[in-house]
Amino acid sequence: MRARILSPGRVRVLVTAAVLTAVAGTGVELGARQQAASGQSTQANQGVVLKGRAPVSTEVLKVTLPKPRRATLPNGLDLMVLEDHRLPQVSFQIVIPGAGGYYDPPDRVGLSSIVAALMREGTTSRSSAEISEALETMAASVNVGAGASSGEATVSGSSLVESFGETFALAADVLLHPTFPDEEIARYRQRTQAQLVQLRTNPNFLASERFDHVIYGDHPGGRTFTTPETLAAVTRDLLVQTHKARFVPDHAIVAVAGDTTLEQVRALVEKALAGWTSAGTPEPATTDPAPMGPAHVHFVARPNSVQSNFIVGTQAISRTSPDYPVLEVMNAVIGGGPTGRLFTILREAKGYTYGAYSGLSAGKFRGDWQANTDVRTEVTEPALRDLLFEISRMRDELVPEQEFADKKRALIASFALSLESPASVLNRALTLWTYGLPADYWDTYPARIDAVTREQVQAAAKRYLDPARLQIVVVGDPVKAGPVLGTFGDVITYDTNGNRTGGGVDR
Amino acid sequence: MLRTFRWFASAATVAAGVTAVVLAQAPRVTFSDTRLDNGLRVIIAEDHSAPVFAVAVNYNVGSRDERQGRTGFAHLFEHMMFKGSEQVGPGEHFTLIFNNGGSMNGTTNKDRTLYYEVLPSNQLDLALFLEADRMWSLEITRENLDNQRNAVQEERRLGVDNQPYGHTSEVLDELAYDTFAYEHSVIGSMADLDAATVDDVKAFFRTYYAPNNAVLAIVGDVDTADTLAKVKHYFDRIKRQPAPPEVDMSEPAQTAERRRTLEDPLARLTRIDMAYKVPPGRSPDSEALTVLANILSSGRSSRLYEHVVREKQLASNVSAFKGESRGPGLFQFVGSLLPGKDVAALEQAIEAEIARVQNEPVADWEMEKARNSARRSFISGLGSSLNRAVLLSQYALFYDDPGRINTQADRIAAVTAADVQRVAKQYLVPSRRTVVITVPKAGGAGGGE
Repeated sequence: MRARILSPGRVRVLVTAAVLTAVAGTGVELGARQQAASGQSTQANQGVVLKGRAPVSTEVLKVTLPKPRRATLPNGLDLMVLEDHRLPQVSFQIVIPGAGGYYDPPDRVGLSSIVAALMREGTTSRSSAEISEALETMAASVNVGAGASSGEATVSGSSLVESFGETFALAADVLLHPTFPDEEIARYRQRTQAQLVQLRTNPNFLASERFDHVIYGDHPGGRTFTTPETLAAVTRDLLVQTHKARFVPDHAIVAVAGDTTLEQVRALVEKALAGWTSAGTPEPATTDPAPMGPAHVHFVARPNSVQSNFIVGTQAISRTSPDYPVLEVMNAVIGGGPTGRLFTILREAKGYTYGAYSGLSAGKFRGDWQANTDVRTEVTEPALRDLLFEISRMRDELVPEQEFADKKRALIASFALSLESPASVLNRALTLWTYGLPADYWDTYPARIDAVTREQVQAAAKRYLDPARLQIVVVGDPVKAGPVLGTFGDVITYDTNGNRTGGGVDR
Repeated sequence: MLRTFRWFASAATVAAGVTAVVLAQAPRVTFSDTRLDNGLRVIIAEDHSAPVFAVAVNYNVGSRDERQGRTGFAHLFEHMMFKGSEQVGPGEHFTLIFNNGGSMNGTTNKDRTLYYEVLPSNQLDLALFLEADRMWSLEITRENLDNQRNAVQEERRLGVDNQPYGHTSEVLDELAYDTFAYEHSVIGSMADLDAATVDDVKAFFRTYYAPNNAVLAIVGDVDTADTLAKVKHYFDRIKRQPAPPEVDMSEPAQTAERRRTLEDPLARLTRIDMAYKVPPGRSPDSEALTVLANILSSGRSSRLYEHVVREKQLASNVSAFKGESRGPGLFQFVGSLLPGKDVAALEQAIEAEIARVQNEPVADWEMEKARNSARRSFISGLGSSLNRAVLLSQYALFYDDPGRINTQADRIAAVTAADVQRVAKQYLVPSRRTVVITVPKAGGAGGGE
């Protein structure tokens, strides 16, 4: 519910709705995700009927996002402060491009995640336990994260306003003076090995891991998690060197939102990060992944599964592509949210699934578009057929006018909700900073979405959702689900450890 | 006249004795609290900090109200609330909310069923109309029921049957509780979901979805008087119904530890779940138990993390928590065993931490941590109109005290170290305990150990 501090490296827009929450995992709480529909769906078998009797305001509230104040320090560090005095709290992010897993050597996938996790486990002046105790006594937080495929690492934190100075100073200590104690490395290794084992029991992880590999090949955009090899090979020296070389201020930013001012932040940063000197490193670059191989069905055999998990998708565009708004609208129509066609058909009309969505993932390099759902094993074949049919319908037909207008209005009108959360407004500003988008990008966003035409969306679907480029990933029971997949293409099979076990000739 | 919620930090500040830091004064939520003639309780909290409002409708019905043979029904019914009413077609409710830039959902637990929406402030009529229409009338067809039965059964497969440890919490509740109300799971059994009929849906609607069995909270960029007038306009015609039957929440005293081992074909590592019976949420001991959970398990400075995860390296994670519960509650521990370690050693390590809190003093900083955590969570929560609407409606429904939103942090702050020690001694004892150990089953997707 609450806006999350997004890592701006690869921002997933129109997030595919998550499945059950962690709370639901305990069996206590169940979310309904009661959501569906499309404009043309007055036909009975479509699952949604619009009677049109509810009092709807036809206006869309014009929303102008507040803009953060900016400054640049002599060491190259940018500052961005969104002053918001509604509540006595502050949140911040120090974003460090070049320090994410994208830049890990191919035989050390996940190294950055280990560096990030261990930075909090001890500094030259504080032990791991002292850091945790100091922060948590103030009800403050500091975390360091670096995704396996993301370009940047982020030191993030938040606190009540009275503890902001102390919290930021702790974050700076963690950023500048980590010691990577051997004892903590050993502990981290053991915990993470257990996590790696657990991950392989999770069907969503298995599906994403396979999909990312199929879409990105050996490109770092396809990295999902630290590998056992990296975990085994990591040493204190390697962590120290990696931290020193890559956690540099040259291209970094400190972004703050909350009950403070640019002047206060500047003074804090100048004091706490005084020792963070420019390294003279060039701006970290990215490249697009190589074009994918031919389309296949990739089947991960997971014995005892009672559902089949699907991800169907392809390489798409980068965040700065001129096609971005067109694909945003296209995605909204297919399944980028609960009123999409996938949900309407697969859940509300057919009852195959609890949810079916699609999402566009676009960052500095060419990203992907994907549709996903999970269905009971018995309907694996018809559900996959229906899912593929909805994708083909985007290529073959113009979206009906009312449905198209509804989707565009939803994208624009939802802006108002983000005004409640300073962190969410700040994240929109960080997106502009990350991708070098113009300062008035969000001001002109409604006009840009409004200008997208049905013909553009159909043309984009024909280009990007070409069946010859659509990869199909299925995780499910080998006895009941596996055999029906042959009708959808050449099947390559894998086990839950990620090993290829059969099928295919050219990969 | 009702006052507007003060959204800005008050100019008044208080000095904290120990650290001499000036603490920000938390704002208070000001609200109106009205009962319509038909019994609907209406709470309105006005503030104009963002052009947004939230509506929460909290019905006094959860899985605890279900009867034998109809487990999962309250939640299945919740899905039916989106399948159409007199003026609203199936699926139209959420279509209209999303198409107009809003968000919404429904959610069911043992104690209540909650529906909510957040919308831009020009759509107040839409939200009230939609909620009123489905409280007034529900259009129930066999076809729609079958459709949502399928969706809910997929929800069960997704969250329970296809997940490692998916059955563990069901088994734990069945073992720990003796009374049907809390003994069975919210999602229910496949067989009971299959058995639900259209007549069940109609009867449930009549009994539980009455205005006198619900709380409506509206929070955000609205005018209080205008909103109350609109609420009356849309909801006044809905008829009051006889009060639903009282739920049997009696729970016989447990006299000895209960224990079971469960084989899980989808798991790869062993997990231990321990639950201790504790009193209902309105008990004066609730806040001390909340502080106890914080000390044991909140963050990396917590005792379980520091000693069991980091020092002894027995588990990748151990948590302790106590959910909000109207009836007899459970104080729970969950520990994920590291490969090659002994689950008995993990259990002993958790018990050692329980013994330590029972027998040794709690540190001042741990108490301060719990106090600040509650204050921070209150202040952060104020940033969301939805969060305020949910809490106001829930505190009204559970404790007849919506103002608890403003006092909860103070109640936590009033807990002493001696209270924490006392509740640990009183409740975390073997005779109140249920233990479920989930072990990987050889030959499953997990591949055994």
